[in-house]
Amino acid sequence: MNLQTTPMNHSIETENLSLWYGDFQALIDVNVKIPDGQITSLIGPSGCGKTTLLRCFNRVNERYGNVTTEGKIEILGKNIYDPDVSLPELRKAVGMVFQRPNPLPISVYENILFGLRIHSPMRSLTRTESDQIVEEALTSVFLWEDLKDKLETRATSLQLEQQQKLCIARLLPLKPKIILMDEPCSALDAKGTLAVEELMEILAGTYTFLIVTHNMAQARRVSEECIFMFLGELIEHRETQALFEDPKHERTADYVQMRYG
Amino acid sequence: MNSMTTRAERKQKIVLQSITFVILGVAFILMWNVLIKTRVVSMQAVSAAPLPNAMPTNLFSDLYLVLLMSFLAILFGIACAFYLQEWLPETNWVRRLIEGLVAILTGIPSLLFGILAIGIFFSYAGTLKMIGGSPVPQNAEAIPVQHDTTLFYAEALTFILMVMPVTIKTTQGALHSIATPIREAAYVLGASKWQVLKRQVMPLAFTRILAGGCRAMSRAFAAAALLIGIYTWHYTTESGKMPGRFMLFLSGALFLSVLSSTLIETHRSSGRNTVNLPR
Repeated sequence: MNLQTTPMNHSIETENLSLWYGDFQALIDVNVKIPDGQITSLIGPSGCGKTTLLRCFNRVNERYGNVTTEGKIEILGKNIYDPDVSLPELRKAVGMVFQRPNPLPISVYENILFGLRIHSPMRSLTRTESDQIVEEALTSVFLWEDLKDKLETRATSLQLEQQQKLCIARLLPLKPKIILMDEPCSALDAKGTLAVEELMEILAGTYTFLIVTHNMAQARRVSEECIFMFLGELIEHRETQALFEDPKHERTADYVQMRYG
Repeated sequence: MNSMTTRAERKQKIVLQSITFVILGVAFILMWNVLIKTRVVSMQAVSAAPLPNAMPTNLFSDLYLVLLMSFLAILFGIACAFYLQEWLPETNWVRRLIEGLVAILTGIPSLLFGILAIGIFFSYAGTLKMIGGSPVPQNAEAIPVQHDTTLFYAEALTFILMVMPVTIKTTQGALHSIATPIREAAYVLGASKWQVLKRQVMPLAFTRILAGGCRAMSRAFAAAALLIGIYTWHYTTESGKMPGRFMLFLSGALFLSVLSSTLIETHRSSGRNTVNLPR
């Protein structure tokens, strides 16, 4: 790991992070620093622990039971395994977008307000406030023009691309610092992929993006830094261009030049 | 109206709804018939037959019992199912034991429960020894007067045994059917387990849980109808007339089973529970 960039803040930092599913060790001593306000991509063959690492950062891994974690994860300077960390607050700061768009089967309008409603007391949102919040969120993902007359339709009946953008939009009212994305474009066609990538590039800066992808062209296009993982270990973490053009490790070279995987 | 609904789907829905309405109408007429004729038919049949005094002769005490017990059993069954499905891990031995028992109990034909009720519960109550005891006497005077409460408990226990497993099973199925992506979407927005259950899972599973409750009750009604029918016909010399209580339970069972399948069908065609089916 040779990050010879100017000193900058890191929104995510892990120290000797190891994780086991039962007896199987999925992450081995991962040390990583994710820079603030940039897009970082995680690449590697299937089953190398990319998604597991991603899911550590908002602690959704714990839902599966039988998971043991060791080491330290600091997010925005706070160890998220401290006993005084509240999961709702953590997940408010660290949003997540999934592989398949998963809007809730309620209206577009309510999808966007869902996060706010569960974090605020009953009926504390006025109609004007919520209208404004919905408009802002949809505008920042460029859906407002398409959906302003369809706010009451059920979100699951939208096009897939719109659904995925909506999944990003519904994070925004919670004002997250970090957005985790687990192959956000694998269910979309070329046009949808392009739209989501453009959106990420515009939103980067305001938010820190960490994106898992199998599409190396995508990693090259959107991310500033790139992390290569293999069998639970972090092999290489460098600027994207350097990693693709001049990989230090043989495994990375094999993978990025598509000799396997 | 869902914008995705195609013409064919709408047509299908209309046909289905009209069939349902016809069946519901027939069931309603049957019920009405019973209520009108109860005084005439039922009272004659009951008083003419050498029925033990134990049999609650009042139609409405039956209804009261059935509704009250089903209500309690269904509520308790739903609570059980929520606990099993949402809180206990699949490997937990309590969950596996209860699921095994439920599978066995739902597999038993409902008529057997009625016989069980007569056989075991009554014989434990010390009266009407049908299993291994003396055969049922042919004249009413020979049967000792049964205290109503014992019978009430016997009937109630049978109902619970019949209704609860079906409710647990269908509720568990309904909860299981709520796709993981929906739950995860809510979790990563910071919802607690209770919020996920209350705001997403329960509204989505509600119709199916309700349908399950109806199915459970319909099962109990059908068994009661059969037993009453057999019992009354056996002791009634008056021929050609169906006893009122038999009709009541039969039409009740019909009504509930149609209602439950209607609920499931409307739930399915509303498409609320689908997550991005590939197009």
